[in-house]
Amino acid sequence: MARERILVVCPGRGTYNAPELGYLARHHGGSEWLARFDALRGAKGALTALDGAAAFDPKVHLRGDVAAPLIHASAFLDFLSLDRERFEVVAVTGNSMGWYTALACAGAVSGEHGFAIADAMGVNSQGHEPGGQAVLVLAGEDWTVDPALDRAVRAAMAWHGVLPSIELGGMLVVAGAEAAMDALERDLPALPRAPLRLAGHGPFHTLLMQASSDAARAQLPAEWFGRPEIPLIDGRGKVWRRFETDPVALWDYTFGHQILAPYDFSAAIRVGVREFAPDRVVLTGPGETLGGAIAQVLVALKWLDISSRQRFTARQGEDPFLIGMGRPVQRKIVIR
Amino acid sequence: MDAAEQVHLKFLDALEKGALRRRSNLGLKDVGLVPERAAALLHSQMLSRQLDRLSRKLQARGEGFYTIGSSGHEGNAVLAEALRTDDIAFLHYRDAAFQIHRAHRVPGETPAWDMLLSFAASAEDPISGGRHKVLGSKRLMIPPQTSTIASHVPKAVGTAFAIGIARRMGFDEAVLAKDGVVLCSFGDASANHSTAVGAINTACWAAFQRTPMPIVFLCEDNGIGISTRTPPGWIEANWQGRAGLEYIACDGSDLVDSYRAASEAVEIARRHRKPVFLHMKTVRLYGHAGNDIQLAYLAKAQIEADEARDPLLASAALLIEEGVMTAVDVRAAYDGIEADLLRQVELAIKRPKLPDAAAVMASIVPPRREGVARPLADAAARAALFADDADAMKKPQHMAKLLSWALADLLLQYPGAIVCGEDVGPKGGVYAATQKLHARFGSARVINTLLDEQAILGLAIGAAHNGLLPIPEIQFLAYVHNAEDQIRGEAATLSFFSNGQFTNPMVVRIAGLPYQKGFGGHFHNDNSLAVFRDIPGVVLAVPSNGRDAVAMLRECVRLAHEEQRVVVFVEPIALYMTRDLHEPGDGLWASVYQAPGQGAIAFGEVGVSGEGTDLAIVTYGNGFYLSLQAQKLLAESGVGVRVIDLRWLGPMNDDAVMAAVAPCARVLVVDECRVTGGPNEGLVALLAERAPDKAIARMAATDSFIPLARAATHTLPSRDGIVAKVLEMVRG
Repeated sequence: MARERILVVCPGRGTYNAPELGYLARHHGGSEWLARFDALRGAKGALTALDGAAAFDPKVHLRGDVAAPLIHASAFLDFLSLDRERFEVVAVTGNSMGWYTALACAGAVSGEHGFAIADAMGVNSQGHEPGGQAVLVLAGEDWTVDPALDRAVRAAMAWHGVLPSIELGGMLVVAGAEAAMDALERDLPALPRAPLRLAGHGPFHTLLMQASSDAARAQLPAEWFGRPEIPLIDGRGKVWRRFETDPVALWDYTFGHQILAPYDFSAAIRVGVREFAPDRVVLTGPGETLGGAIAQVLVALKWLDISSRQRFTARQGEDPFLIGMGRPVQRKIVIR
Repeated sequence: MDAAEQVHLKFLDALEKGALRRRSNLGLKDVGLVPERAAALLHSQMLSRQLDRLSRKLQARGEGFYTIGSSGHEGNAVLAEALRTDDIAFLHYRDAAFQIHRAHRVPGETPAWDMLLSFAASAEDPISGGRHKVLGSKRLMIPPQTSTIASHVPKAVGTAFAIGIARRMGFDEAVLAKDGVVLCSFGDASANHSTAVGAINTACWAAFQRTPMPIVFLCEDNGIGISTRTPPGWIEANWQGRAGLEYIACDGSDLVDSYRAASEAVEIARRHRKPVFLHMKTVRLYGHAGNDIQLAYLAKAQIEADEARDPLLASAALLIEEGVMTAVDVRAAYDGIEADLLRQVELAIKRPKLPDAAAVMASIVPPRREGVARPLADAAARAALFADDADAMKKPQHMAKLLSWALADLLLQYPGAIVCGEDVGPKGGVYAATQKLHARFGSARVINTLLDEQAILGLAIGAAHNGLLPIPEIQFLAYVHNAEDQIRGEAATLSFFSNGQFTNPMVVRIAGLPYQKGFGGHFHNDNSLAVFRDIPGVVLAVPSNGRDAVAMLRECVRLAHEEQRVVVFVEPIALYMTRDLHEPGDGLWASVYQAPGQGAIAFGEVGVSGEGTDLAIVTYGNGFYLSLQAQKLLAESGVGVRVIDLRWLGPMNDDAVMAAVAPCARVLVVDECRVTGGPNEGLVALLAERAPDKAIARMAATDSFIPLARAATHTLPSRDGIVAKVLEMVRG
């Protein structure tokens, strides 16, 4: 029987929260990879210990140098848990730092180097000009976006010098200096939900991250990069296919454009579903919040007649098109 | 077996047996092509090939509608590698590999999905919205092309020319880069079409006098046009050694040789801004289109020889021998593309189609541009511009003089406006309507063209593609007919076939219509507007007097600039120099020039002269002039007539016409064009349908050509004829 075709999506920061504490132990306890990752972490603290803490401590677990490796390890090990005999991974993508995980899943970097990159970038991404990120919810209750609202928000952003950071389905993550973000928030049109500042996040995917980009280029060598075994879709919607990939160009994108320019996750999903026509989209853990953004992209595309939140919910009930590995029931569908 | 499947199996078999052969010993390093880029090119070629196979299967299922493929022509992908992605490309219909490869270079593109939507005629097809299977993409700077043979070559030449003039003008709103290159591709059979021959000649004519002409003409020579062979050696013999034209040849089946030639061609076009004829020898695999059986007209040996030149065989051999991929890798990639497409297509054919006529027609009229209205020029600038005409401007003038001033004001107000045509430069046009423009605005904006109407209209379309506002002039109405397709098939359809994404706004000025007393004969008195009447979306304006002409020309330029319309503005030659209406010296047909902003006439606004209710005369142009003469004579006979000047003949403002004739129970249509095909047909039909109680008659030119001298008006409506007809209708 032909294998089902799946598009794998790796989540970014903000997906390892209190409910996810213990995710590694629950799903990947005893994995050799965890031992390797802990060894790589060395004095920075074992992931298994952080994952196994008695309580979720936002001051610790949301810090970039902790959150990034936790999320990466959870996502990468989820990827390795997929039942590849029943599921053919036709392409891999990720959101924001999930790109580093996608690199490892696709085989463009080794598992160890993938972890080392995510781990290093968790620290490294704390080096930037002052500023942060906020999530603006543009989609209404039905998950569609009013184009007029979208235009008004972007006009206000331009006026206050706030930059687009991540195109995230019906949400827009913005970044900038704190004062500019404050001014923007006072001047925004009414949004379906109040803007949400992301604690511990820098002004990711903007030129304010130049120091982070420079440090990454200095620390993380191009030699670690190879060609992906599985097509990779980046944060512009570009597809990196095996023989067409120049590893140095992939390295350059990863630590250049990817850090310094807006990350278009919506484009990555659009390209993923249109060019690879997967039977399902599989969102690795931890968490499941990115599922909303993926669903909103599907609604915008009217993919498989998913033209509203209600249609999406109905579709998920019958035979889920979007599998969240952070959801135990759905996880069972795709793991070995 | 289906020919496409046969070629497919031959490829698989050669891969399996290691029987692939490269076309030359040229290696990737010889041309500076890195392995990854060569692999990307092969991927684009294979995707193009698999799409061709699929299109035939779709047609067999009734889900696909167009099967003219690119198989054998996949070498054109190298142009997408050699050019920049912002270089505009006017493509041959066998250039899917080019478009795919350009898409590959632009992140976020979905070339396979987009092509499948196009096959399936889905309303979501990103270029045409389901209106045609065309190659094209706004984001990839590929305007859509339909299949009129070589009809895109004049505008490609015009675009290349417009890159140079925009640069000379210092025009900062140009669409294309100052160092941009234009690609224009076509087949060997199309290279014989007069349109291609004329357009390439135009490029040579310009380049020969060192005018920048950065264009690559890619002639994809597969040796046959449908079933007619191109004589072996004809293309090189015909196009080598042409004045002003560089000629480069390559083997389109050889990726490396093609890339070498493409790079050289692009380099010459970009660095030296010279036109290049890139002769790429290709093969046409499995016939002209899906239903074409080659064995009916080609020997089996010939078909087999062509199949041996399949570019996929050679590209795969090259990559395998160079160690970039193994045969197994190539097979896996080729199969992988097929597997993806087979899943994609089942989703693509379910995407929505155009549901009704309104949806089909939604892009005939281009989208209006907001916030682009141009302010009027300031008084000081106008005073400086017209310093040597200040006294003349205080006096009544004839239409030709008024038009020349209106054009000058428009060139001042619209920095992107250009005037082009035969003799429009220092001479000022054969009727002086462009007088002094050249001296006032220079040769970058007032352009003397060669004697070829296709070139003039091609220049206009090309200039519009580069963001300029062209006002081309066609010297005589009869001359537009040899270039009609540039309006009908190209300019008018661009918005329609691109779902409103590409537009080519322009105002085509044409001197025409009959009654002129000087230069006689049919070709200077052509009285047919039929060619413009049935083109959807085109605006047709015909002024009858100088005051209206100025106001209407301004409105036409506004329509082009703000609403992106293609406008045809026909100026009655016989009225250019006319100053008097009823008797010599009355000066009633001359008027004082109105400054911009004064005396506006809106699109669709008709003119009404007189308040008589015995009868309404509906007319335009010379007919309006003659009808006003008749109106006076009729008044002296106690008959009150109102005369309605349509001004805007296409699309006709039906409601305005009906409102204007409402007070009258009798309507006479006076049409200087022929009774067959003239505007009278539509008018009489309108009146009959909307006002069946009225007495309706028409007086139009007979179905004749125009003779010379005094016989010139025998076939046309006359003042006295109108008087007689009105009296007959009123008095019975």
